[in-house]
Amino acid sequence: MSRPPADLYGRQRADRMFRALVPVVGAFRRASERGARRQPPVRAVDRDLRVVVRSSSVEADGVVAVTLADPGGAPLPGWRPGCHLDVVLPSGLVRQYSLCGDPADRRTYRIAVRSVGAGSAEAHALTAGTPLVVRGPRNAFPFVGPGPYLFIAGGIGITPILPMVHAARGSDWRLVYTGRDRRSLPFLAELPTERVRVRTDDEHGVPTAADLLRDAPPGAAVYCCGPAPLIDLVKAAWPGRFHAERFAPPPVVGGRPFELQLGVGGPVVPVAADETALTALRRVRPDVAYSCRQGFCGTCRVRVLSGGPSEEDGMLVCVARADGGRVVLDV
Amino acid sequence: MTDDLALHPRDVRFDWSDVPLHWVPGDPLTTHALNTLHLVLPEGERWFVQVFGQALPHIRDPRLREQVLGFIGQEAMHAKAHDGAAAHLAALGIDPAPFVAQIEWLFRTLLGDRQGSAAVRHQWLLERLSVIAAIEHFTAVLGQWVLDADALEGADPTMLDLLRWHGAEEVEHRSVAYDLYMHLDGRRFRRIRTMVVVAPVLAWLFVRSTRWLMANDPSRPGAPRWRDYLRAARAGRLPRPGQLLPAVWRYLPRGYHPSQEGDTAQAVAYLAASPAAKAAL
Repeated sequence: MSRPPADLYGRQRADRMFRALVPVVGAFRRASERGARRQPPVRAVDRDLRVVVRSSSVEADGVVAVTLADPGGAPLPGWRPGCHLDVVLPSGLVRQYSLCGDPADRRTYRIAVRSVGAGSAEAHALTAGTPLVVRGPRNAFPFVGPGPYLFIAGGIGITPILPMVHAARGSDWRLVYTGRDRRSLPFLAELPTERVRVRTDDEHGVPTAADLLRDAPPGAAVYCCGPAPLIDLVKAAWPGRFHAERFAPPPVVGGRPFELQLGVGGPVVPVAADETALTALRRVRPDVAYSCRQGFCGTCRVRVLSGGPSEEDGMLVCVARADGGRVVLDV
Repeated sequence: MTDDLALHPRDVRFDWSDVPLHWVPGDPLTTHALNTLHLVLPEGERWFVQVFGQALPHIRDPRLREQVLGFIGQEAMHAKAHDGAAAHLAALGIDPAPFVAQIEWLFRTLLGDRQGSAAVRHQWLLERLSVIAAIEHFTAVLGQWVLDADALEGADPTMLDLLRWHGAEEVEHRSVAYDLYMHLDGRRFRRIRTMVVVAPVLAWLFVRSTRWLMANDPSRPGAPRWRDYLRAARAGRLPRPGQLLPAVWRYLPRGYHPSQEGDTAQAVAYLAASPAAKAAL
């Protein structure tokens, strides 16, 4: 161990606090070694929930609601408004869907899926009796007091909002529900008629922020779920409390395939055009640290030995990629 | 409601250019006591990230792993944000480098990685996880305190938003370090042994950094006095001894869990109102 750092006030000796800490930490080091005796084992925890599809029904144009239950009818883990499930689809694809049923109903979960992309096509094809694995529920859109509330839902964005609307009973709230046309809006029949304004593009045109926010009770917290432009529109115009669901990082578009090599002479991992280097890296190194997956937190930064975009600062494997060729990483 | 919350880092930015030297107006002692965070936390949080990264391969609970990944990103952003505030201190005439160099030595050398057998290195990892769990107990207590501290309303809004955004995320993720320690080790003796050292060391760091910042403040506010601390604490601008000391005891019982500390709903509500967190959404 190197010498403790210098004194802060220019005295000719090492800093008193850190001199005092050297033997203390030394004692901890020795004590920690003795901890190897009687080391308790790490228990594996299985977080998979095995469920079965109870029913599937068309709720609106291109929207299917799927009800899930325990195969033996046992109660499911509780959840709160804003929670989502990770659903492992039969192909292995994992998709997140907001729970849109009744939190008091512990026998079933309900999700709703709009058809866009491969995952939703699979979800739409689910039939009663299909076994599924789900994980969660987890909350990335927590609903907290105090009211009053203004809920703004765009199309399928109604799914997390619906349980919030029911939970807000007893406080002052309003809901603005927007979408292309009424036929594309699921769960209209489950909404109360009072306090709810349905505004569709075909009848009222594309909404402005002022129009969306005009129902807000004074001092309201806004809960908004829908397409990103809707969220940005409302967020920019609303000075008060603003809650929105955080979205998964955008898909990779316009990328080119390249290769990662894990150390000089190490294994070579191909990175497909439509996946991130992190996704590819995790296939062989499932324990690599990462967090934001959007390139800002810096957790996944890996030193680059050769190739690739910037060799000096390392490579943020969650967003950075090479234009073909091979990047040798120091992992 | 901590158990089901999914943790995510937020891409916050702060513009320090208008933050004055004494950002708690007329109270250099409170200003510098809280400035300690800019000097100590960035190194400490980078160390958390590094130690948690080493713990990842040992985790056998997918939900805990997900929470640890969220925690790592939040801590990395805290370190960046406080680095910015420390650089602003330098611009105002207090060069934090000598103090930060000491903290670097503390985390990188004294508490850094060890050589030795795999068993020795693993026990050192567990030891450091118990240190992080003990520190995170205090960051949750302080995070809740700063969310509640109405007496700071007159402080500079940018700095207050930094402290409350950070405090709110500490409250959000307050269970992760403890749950990780319990998952990989869980021995209570080690947990208590660590707290016995962590609590006085944290207190000592705050006292010495306040003293050092006051001594280097170009406006020459004079040396800090305990009297002034007690006055600021009574007014609610700093945590009272009666709020800090009982927190130590609360950590020790077998039935302790961080979910008993702090109010997640209040943290979530603050993050919905925080200018920095809102802009990052």
